[in-house]
Amino acid sequence: MKTIRTQILLCAGGSCISSGTDSVRSAFERELTSHGLADEVEVVSTGCMGMCEIGPIAIVYPEGIFYQKVKADDVAELVEEHLLKGRIVERLLYKRATTGELLETINSIDFFKLQKKIALRNCGNIDPEDVREYIAADGYEALGRVLTAMTPAQVVEEIKASGLRGRGGAGFPTGMKWQFTAAEKADCKYVVCNGDEGDPGAFMDRSILEGDPHSVIEAMAICGFAIGASQGYLYVRAEYPLAIKRLDHAIHQARDLGVLGKGIFGTGFDFDLEIRMGAGAFVCGEETALMASIEGRRGEPRPKPPFPAQKGLFGKPTVLNNVETFACIPYIILNGAVEFAKIGSEKSKGTKVFALAGDVVNCGLVEVPMGITLGSVVFDIGGGIRNNKRFKAVQIGGPSGGCIPAEHLNTPITYESLPELGAIMGSGGLIVMNEDTCMVDLARYFLDFIQEESCGKCTPCRVGTRIMLHLVTKICNGQGTMADLAKLEELAPQIAKTSLCGLGQTAPNPVLSTLRYFREEYLEHIQERRCRAGVCSALMWAPCTNACPASVNVPAYMTYVAKGRFEDALRIHLMANPFPSVCGRVCPQWCTKKCRRADLEGPLAVRLVKRFMAEQRQDYLDLYPAKDPANGHKVAVIGSGPAGLTAAYYLVLRGYEVTVFERQPEVGGMLRYAIPDYRLPRAYVDKEIDGLRQLGVAMRTGVEIGKDVTIPQLETQGFEAFFIASGCGKETKPKIEGIDLPGVYAGIDFLERAAKGENIPMGPDVLVIGGGDSAIDASRIARRCGARNVTIMYRRTRSEMPTNPIEIREAEIEGNKVEFLANISGIRSRDGRLEVSILRMRLGAFDKSGRRRPEVIRGPEETRLVDNVIVAIGQQSDADPIAQTTEGLVANGYGGIKADAKTGATDRPNVFAGGDLVIGAATVVEAIQAGQVGARAIDQFLCPNPARKYPWETLALPDIDPDLDAEVQEMEPLHEPLLNPAERLISVEVERTVSPAEAMREACRCLRCDYKE
Amino acid sequence: MASVSKAAPCQTADNPLFRQLDEFIARLEPGRNALIPALHKAQEIFGFLPPDLQQHIADALGIPVSEVLGVVTFYHYFTMQPRGRHTVNVCLGTACYVRGAKKVVEALSRELGVKIGETTPDRRYSLTAQRCFGACGLAPVVMINEDVHGRVTAKKIPSILAKYE
Repeated sequence: MKTIRTQILLCAGGSCISSGTDSVRSAFERELTSHGLADEVEVVSTGCMGMCEIGPIAIVYPEGIFYQKVKADDVAELVEEHLLKGRIVERLLYKRATTGELLETINSIDFFKLQKKIALRNCGNIDPEDVREYIAADGYEALGRVLTAMTPAQVVEEIKASGLRGRGGAGFPTGMKWQFTAAEKADCKYVVCNGDEGDPGAFMDRSILEGDPHSVIEAMAICGFAIGASQGYLYVRAEYPLAIKRLDHAIHQARDLGVLGKGIFGTGFDFDLEIRMGAGAFVCGEETALMASIEGRRGEPRPKPPFPAQKGLFGKPTVLNNVETFACIPYIILNGAVEFAKIGSEKSKGTKVFALAGDVVNCGLVEVPMGITLGSVVFDIGGGIRNNKRFKAVQIGGPSGGCIPAEHLNTPITYESLPELGAIMGSGGLIVMNEDTCMVDLARYFLDFIQEESCGKCTPCRVGTRIMLHLVTKICNGQGTMADLAKLEELAPQIAKTSLCGLGQTAPNPVLSTLRYFREEYLEHIQERRCRAGVCSALMWAPCTNACPASVNVPAYMTYVAKGRFEDALRIHLMANPFPSVCGRVCPQWCTKKCRRADLEGPLAVRLVKRFMAEQRQDYLDLYPAKDPANGHKVAVIGSGPAGLTAAYYLVLRGYEVTVFERQPEVGGMLRYAIPDYRLPRAYVDKEIDGLRQLGVAMRTGVEIGKDVTIPQLETQGFEAFFIASGCGKETKPKIEGIDLPGVYAGIDFLERAAKGENIPMGPDVLVIGGGDSAIDASRIARRCGARNVTIMYRRTRSEMPTNPIEIREAEIEGNKVEFLANISGIRSRDGRLEVSILRMRLGAFDKSGRRRPEVIRGPEETRLVDNVIVAIGQQSDADPIAQTTEGLVANGYGGIKADAKTGATDRPNVFAGGDLVIGAATVVEAIQAGQVGARAIDQFLCPNPARKYPWETLALPDIDPDLDAEVQEMEPLHEPLLNPAERLISVEVERTVSPAEAMREACRCLRCDYKE
Repeated sequence: MASVSKAAPCQTADNPLFRQLDEFIARLEPGRNALIPALHKAQEIFGFLPPDLQQHIADALGIPVSEVLGVVTFYHYFTMQPRGRHTVNVCLGTACYVRGAKKVVEALSRELGVKIGETTPDRRYSLTAQRCFGACGLAPVVMINEDVHGRVTAKKIPSILAKYE
């Protein structure tokens, strides 16, 4: 007799099969035989384990060691190392995405730890093709108990008491449905299982049918006994051939064992099943349409009542439940209704399976207790958003459901809570979306789906969805009007009210729900002809240009650089952005996040090409856009950061006489006083500002508006309009003990003093508080000022840090440490050093932006001695003197001025504002965009002409057409040419400029998305 | 994977393909109830459902051919157009859509030179699209015949297609 010491469970769910489970299985069989282990180690192919993304999965029991992405080639090593020598093969273990920790057993993985499996209890644990394994897992015991020890009425009562509700979407109490059907008098009744899982994004029914078919068969027989039916139908989509095969096999096994057919368990109860294949009609998920389809007719729904409980399949009383609902039944019978009802919320009992998909790290099937928060499913189980992108929304409930945005991540998932947010539980498809999803396009996608799937029987659905699709498509194509939006909002409730079946009644949901939370995106599509996600191609020049706040025509200058025409390239750049040298060093590259080349080997290194291009000229004087003749108007710009200077640039080009006022001794704002010179040497700031000076921008330094001179006084000097862009250069200080002690610095002051060349004394141990750019910069400067041990302390975790990951990496390479989930609560002087009290934090509930709020778990008893503390937790504006001395201006409460970020308008007609002052600390390229907005606002105020096109709006194809016949060759992307740590503290700049050959080669990789022929 | 014969049907009743279908139908209860299973079988055997085949099925089940046509045209799965030897089926479910199915469709159309719903002139491939195969964990997904290919990118397409002669 064989003594099996180890079992290897191999996932043979649909996804793992397509990832290669079969070849892994044969490799195991081969290796086990050749090592003489065939009698000791058994390989079991199971149903879906849920983590479809990282398949094929193999779990070695009894220890439960979890191996992911196992390939046939890995098997020899697994057998040799693990099974023979007892050593775990680390390279195939699962790595926790947030910490990089290797997790050995299935129970240590968050994805599984937080789940509660009832419907999926056997999926991934048993061989679905072997009924003996099902029986070993208490299979058919519930049926036996029902037939021998319970009356039909008791069964119905038990299901009612469990609180189980229909898992197919509508959530009707299952026990009630059974009771109504049981109460009908008829010669014949039916049990139907709805396996027509048509909701795109839901695949739990598929997994149950493939991974545990007997549980559904058993449950249907129990239902048959409870309601008095002896025949059942399993209606399964034709798209699920494996599910059909395994079900068919399971039905034959059950008949052979006598748990289906005549006289089950030797009682007088007969019950048998037949599989019916669907044929690709979404509406057949609706119960009356599904029954029409079983009857061999077109799957059109009919009005209710009569309900299926009275007149269902072939006109007979019928219970119709979803696969997942049935899969819960044996568990309820065996464990009792009370046990089931303990899980979940008051009105939503038990568990629910969700198909987690989209832009989430762990895609797959999860079964969670009802009442768990949406955020917990997405972030704890799902592992958060992949590729460090931002969470935007989840789409839940398929085409009948809705979107739920970040602000509702704390919502518990129940049948009641979701409709309040405009969504539904639906069948449990949960699609996670990041910032790259356009919500208008998503609404269009679902309408397209619904419109195509509408059976056409009733007019509101057939015609109404067509009109809605037409309107939304118009908006996506940039031809929408506000009247179209109004029409959509008028039509939606009419279609919902007057359609015949659930499909039409819920058809407007995707539009209503995206309008509810993302109305702004609809308005952008209509009023600004802009798609922020970069999806609606009619609204885009190219994805990169669309993503760039300054709208730089990236494909055009890439094309010119590729051909060595560097001046033409610069000319293009200067149309939208007068700071190529600065941005070539510090731009966070919004463009590359949308670069289509990312699908091949990686996005273009746009910034490096830009930096190279800018260096080809000492000045750009002959390359700036043509200047209009002087128009005689005088304009003042307050603040000489990138926003103010950009506004001045475009106003001078339009013929205005522009003076920039700056309170500091030199112009440049944050470019000069905040960004450290190892990232941005001052010579490049000077070069580009000198260019503006030569173009005619007058600059007056050492003048503070509101103190030295006021806006009304400037008006008397002939200034007609003002653009305030004085930034936010004041550190937000936390209100804690000791914040003003010597040796404690405010981040932004520290950076400013360092930028002015001041020698700041630093002790060996320095603590920097904060997680943004200025905290990282301060830590790197501190090291350059002589600190030896620099620790950045951040209250959240790495994935929440608002700074560019490259900057963090660079700080770490230079030797700085980052300590997460910690904060300080006070600073005291002690023996000439500073003693800080430390708080330990954890991430709690989600805030409105979808980030987890840190909360204190311990402290402040822990202390640490350091020499200096730099607090860089945020910045605010300091424009109160301006607001106070200018009638009509309103302070925004954060030290800034109230203004419309899209138009720059303030409450005083001739004063406009923009940049950090209005939107809070942001990037250089966003400031450039604010400068464009300000320039347009002032020009339209003084010389109105709504039809006028500004240089940054004038996008044109370069005079070189792409070679459309050329095959796209794979090319290694250009990497940042960074100096090694030893060279850095000597050299000023940590990155070098790339060579002409490198730049031209990199520019060649541009796919020319601007070219649409 | 089951090999599927795609020969065109012809009227002669002694055609072995027809005999195969008739044997299948004979095992079903006659009448409308058996129509959808019969159509699935017929499409499996013949690859598509031309009018003469629909007439044949209508006669065998004893129902009007108009009802057969009504059902064939209602369901997406049934087709009256001949298919290529291989059906390249792109998933346009939400998860695949969010993960870039649009780009996959563009790349497939470019590679095959046909649009969705069309067959290549050499009858090697038919390009079709469907909503969700339930393999969302592997999005974006392309199903060729009964093989699911996951995480498809434009780059992978030529090598995937090459496997199907």
